[in-house]
Amino acid sequence: MSFWARLIRCPPARRGLVMLLVMAVVALAAPLLAPADPWKVHPAARLLPPLSRSAVDGADALGRGANASGNGTNASGPGADASGNGANASGNAHTGAGATTLHLLGTDSVGRDVLSRLIYGSRVSLTVGFAAMVLSALFGSLIGVVSGYFGGIVESLTGWLVDVQLSFPFLLLAIFLLGALGGGTLAVILILALATWVNYARIVRAQVLSIKNQGYVEAAHATGASVGRVLFVHILPNTLAPICVVASFSMAQAILTEAGLSFLGVGLDPSTPSWGTMLNDGRDYLLTAWWISTMPGIAIGFTVLGVMLFGEGLRELLDPRSLR
Amino acid sequence: MLSFTLGKLIRALTVLLGVSFLTFIIGHSSGDPVRLIARGDATEEQRAQLRHSLGLDRPVLEQYRIYVGKALHGDLGVSYRQHVDVSRLIALRLPNSLELAGAAFVLAMGIGCALGVLCVIYRDSVLDNVIAGLSVLAQVVPGFWLGLVLVLLFAVHWRVLPVSGSGDLTHLILPAVTLALPTLGRMTRLVRGGMLEVLQSDYIRTARAKGLSERQVLLGHAAKNALLPLVTQAGLELGDLVGSAFIIETVFAWPGLGRMAVNAVQQRDFLVVQGCVLVIAAGFVLINLAVDLLYAVIDPRVRGRS
Amino acid sequence: MDHSTGCDSEPFPDGSGRLLGPARNRRLLLRLSAALFLACFAVISGGCGSHGERPIVVASVSDVSSLDPHLLDVNHPTGSVIWSLFDSLVRRGPDGADLPRLALSWERLDDLTWRFHLRTDVKFQDGSPLTAADVKFSFDRMNQAPFSALQQLWQQTTLQEVRIVDDHTIELRTSKPSVTMLYWLEEAFVAPKAYYSTHDAAYVNTHPLGSGPYKLVEWIQGDHVTLTANPGYFGGAPALKDVVFKVVPDLSARLNGLATGDIDLALELTPDTMSQANTANSRGVETLGLRKLHFGISQHSSVAALRDPRVRRALNYAIDVPTMIKSLMHGSTVPLASVVNPPNANPDLTPYGYHPDRAKQLLAEAGFPNGFDLDIDFTPMWGQDKDVSETVAGYLNAVGIRTHLHADEWNDFRRKLTDASFDGLFYAGWAALINPAVELVIFTCHQEDNASGYCDPKYDELAHSVSTEFDVTKRKAEADAAQKIVWDDAYWIFLWRAPLYAGLSNRIDYTLRPDDYLEIYLAKPRP
Repeated sequence: MSFWARLIRCPPARRGLVMLLVMAVVALAAPLLAPADPWKVHPAARLLPPLSRSAVDGADALGRGANASGNGTNASGPGADASGNGANASGNAHTGAGATTLHLLGTDSVGRDVLSRLIYGSRVSLTVGFAAMVLSALFGSLIGVVSGYFGGIVESLTGWLVDVQLSFPFLLLAIFLLGALGGGTLAVILILALATWVNYARIVRAQVLSIKNQGYVEAAHATGASVGRVLFVHILPNTLAPICVVASFSMAQAILTEAGLSFLGVGLDPSTPSWGTMLNDGRDYLLTAWWISTMPGIAIGFTVLGVMLFGEGLRELLDPRSLR
Repeated sequence: MLSFTLGKLIRALTVLLGVSFLTFIIGHSSGDPVRLIARGDATEEQRAQLRHSLGLDRPVLEQYRIYVGKALHGDLGVSYRQHVDVSRLIALRLPNSLELAGAAFVLAMGIGCALGVLCVIYRDSVLDNVIAGLSVLAQVVPGFWLGLVLVLLFAVHWRVLPVSGSGDLTHLILPAVTLALPTLGRMTRLVRGGMLEVLQSDYIRTARAKGLSERQVLLGHAAKNALLPLVTQAGLELGDLVGSAFIIETVFAWPGLGRMAVNAVQQRDFLVVQGCVLVIAAGFVLINLAVDLLYAVIDPRVRGRS
Repeated sequence: MDHSTGCDSEPFPDGSGRLLGPARNRRLLLRLSAALFLACFAVISGGCGSHGERPIVVASVSDVSSLDPHLLDVNHPTGSVIWSLFDSLVRRGPDGADLPRLALSWERLDDLTWRFHLRTDVKFQDGSPLTAADVKFSFDRMNQAPFSALQQLWQQTTLQEVRIVDDHTIELRTSKPSVTMLYWLEEAFVAPKAYYSTHDAAYVNTHPLGSGPYKLVEWIQGDHVTLTANPGYFGGAPALKDVVFKVVPDLSARLNGLATGDIDLALELTPDTMSQANTANSRGVETLGLRKLHFGISQHSSVAALRDPRVRRALNYAIDVPTMIKSLMHGSTVPLASVVNPPNANPDLTPYGYHPDRAKQLLAEAGFPNGFDLDIDFTPMWGQDKDVSETVAGYLNAVGIRTHLHADEWNDFRRKLTDASFDGLFYAGWAALINPAVELVIFTCHQEDNASGYCDPKYDELAHSVSTEFDVTKRKAEADAAQKIVWDDAYWIFLWRAPLYAGLSNRIDYTLRPDDYLEIYLAKPRP
């Protein structure tokens, strides 16, 4: 049975994979699923609780008919209406005067639809988490392979780098650098990658050390294979499994950290519908409009849970002693 | 053992130097403090005067050298924003940080170990699964969000605990619990996994076969071997707790180092940032040093390997 | 959630899935874990201290930046604490009136000379009496580095010399007539010469000595400042004995503290949360502030359109200020109708109103029928910065302007303000005060507050003579003319006056000032 087949048979990994696939589908199909435009503000429909309806003005979505919906008072909508919502995903199109939009999860402090922002937010979280994970895996593995294979001064130097990185209070560094780099999605990804490369470097180095002197590697050397060939053909593939495990955990960490940075108000463009910025937006409304920050909190928890379960399954499958 | 200790010590010092230099360079390139302090229409002459009085007109490397020299004597400079000695600011905050991190650490280790052991005892029971589920949940829920929810429930709704700030021990409960949760979750799983692994290993079976009492097996053999990975992890977690506490500190208005450092970053109050980073890094390095030494004591093989 | 079942890991040797044979060990481990649990609770729950007579707690977002009276940088909390520890010659009333404080009376000897008669019964908190020498020392100190980099007294009033006439009389000479002399003296605090000339700057910064109604007990940086009443205050000791200025950055925490009775005065609440301030222990209070919220329109922008008055008028017509006030501000304020606050506002000016069609028409006339790209910067300083900016961006999008929002750290934002280096719009508040000469300064050429970079010689002349003209009628006419230029050429996107929201506990009574300063010595215990 192949490794991946065994993985699928492992319940936690399977559950994690399903959860991740759900999130991926949501992210990919966001324009189809979102009932409204996640960027469109609607000052007259602020802070509507879940299951409320707001009037959509035919002329412009700013809702200049301020009296069309009282401020948070028309909490209508029996649960039955909610079901039909996903099907007629026509919120983007103007539905003409007199029509209403159902806000399944309510609206935020400038009247944007929380569910739509949540759906679009999955794109940001997954992209940032995934990209940061790939980048740091590449960089960390490279450092790990080089330091494990060559040893000596290279190893000491990379070891020192790892120690410096580990001793540095990372989130501070992140805030510091984001201030200097000016924020933006790319900067956030780079910084998150910077946070987690150490984990890969350690694991890969340990793996390389244990593989390096095994028969087939020595045989490859003996047949005159180049260093690069030995590294990339004979050694790296054998470190792939533990890298995958670390990758899943660092992706979880990246998603949480992105949310934390956005929560502190640094990082992503402020109007980007990301879960972290939504949490931050809702912070001042915790007492009056709990749904604004509760919903993204649950979304983050769900996604991170999926990633971690998947990683957990991977880890169980491999030798648990060699990791962590 | 002596050369091992010495080697580790030198390594720790060079790491600290690296951290401080990195911070210094980043801080230096992030903006001119004079523009922070001076009023917008201050004259060039006033600015130059100010720059000179702060020693900012010297070459960067010399500034760094002076900084390190003073830092070795405990002088970390004067805050640009609050005009107070950085070492005094840190001295005010450090005990709070240690208190919070310490409480969270004790909570996480104690309850984590207890729950882990419970899981081992009642393996595959409902209890085991419930604890396992909760320990995963503790790791995936964002701490700042949980903190806000806990405040809402315990401080506002039920009014049993204070909302924020520091004071008597009741102020410590919410932030400590919130901070401890992810670590607690990890510890529970680690203890459970470690104990299970050790208990199914050959030598435990041998020990049982030899007719040793279960007590001797558990405490004499299993615990000691399950301890090793725990010590490393505990060291990492403690450093993590001190260094990453500041989101929690912000939520609970806890006057710790982390919150001060973040404020200082946002205010570009660079000497304060530098001081905080240095203290946090030093703490981390010290903990690691302690862990390394402890490790060497528990497992003599390590000494040869370094 | 099971971890290993089904994951190819070996079941336990005895196949029972149970690890520990004898029940004894289970008990042992149980006892071990119970002990660990108890130890944790003992450490965490410990003893709970009991409170004695609680001081009055004022909760603000940030900490004071300095207790040196001549490093005062913001109205609150630094200014509020300095006002409590020190006295100025003149007190600024909540309505902008100039009232006696250390000076009992004053007169202008000529256009360039002011004479002040000091009280004779004032003692500093170490018992030494206040004399004219202390006043001269303090004002001269404000003109030296590093204080001169923050204090504007000398520069704004063209002050040339402080002359001691006798122990309780002092004269100030300026190089030009200065209408704003009293205004700037209201923020010029007097410190004892003997103490401040013999201790170094870092020491006096944390150990202030003034003549004010309160004395410092302690300042724990980043957490709180504790003050206690000065029984020897010349105006009588304040009614509240102990006051703590506490830093509580989180809005929810300030509201919670109000509800639980831990906070007596919670500042910087928001319109959306005002209802939360009404609890069994507290009530919400609001007052219409003096700060004028607006979007500055950069004239140094790469967007040429912003230099066209028609485009700027279009921006004003595009935004539905009344609806925003109704929904975002819960109707707690009024649209701006001038750059100058009432009662000095030009009565002929009226708000632009919401006319998106006129906005589109004006944009087309100016040659931008398809709009243009526009940056909008905001910073967490004036409340609801993000909500307001996003909503305004929404309105601008609706008339075809493509907006890009940027959230700046306050210090970056401040730098862009002083450098006038914004590239588009920026959300800001201006001049929480009643004094047209100071308010109009913002659009004069190259002035430090002129963050939009307007430079109109005609306007400059008017604004300049408003600050040097002692004739009231003439000054009013010039101020009105200057305001009309600002209004007709739409120098800003005009929003509204910032209301101030606070929560008061049932233990105290206090009336908020509209200019952000907090005079806690005027607060009274509630019967």
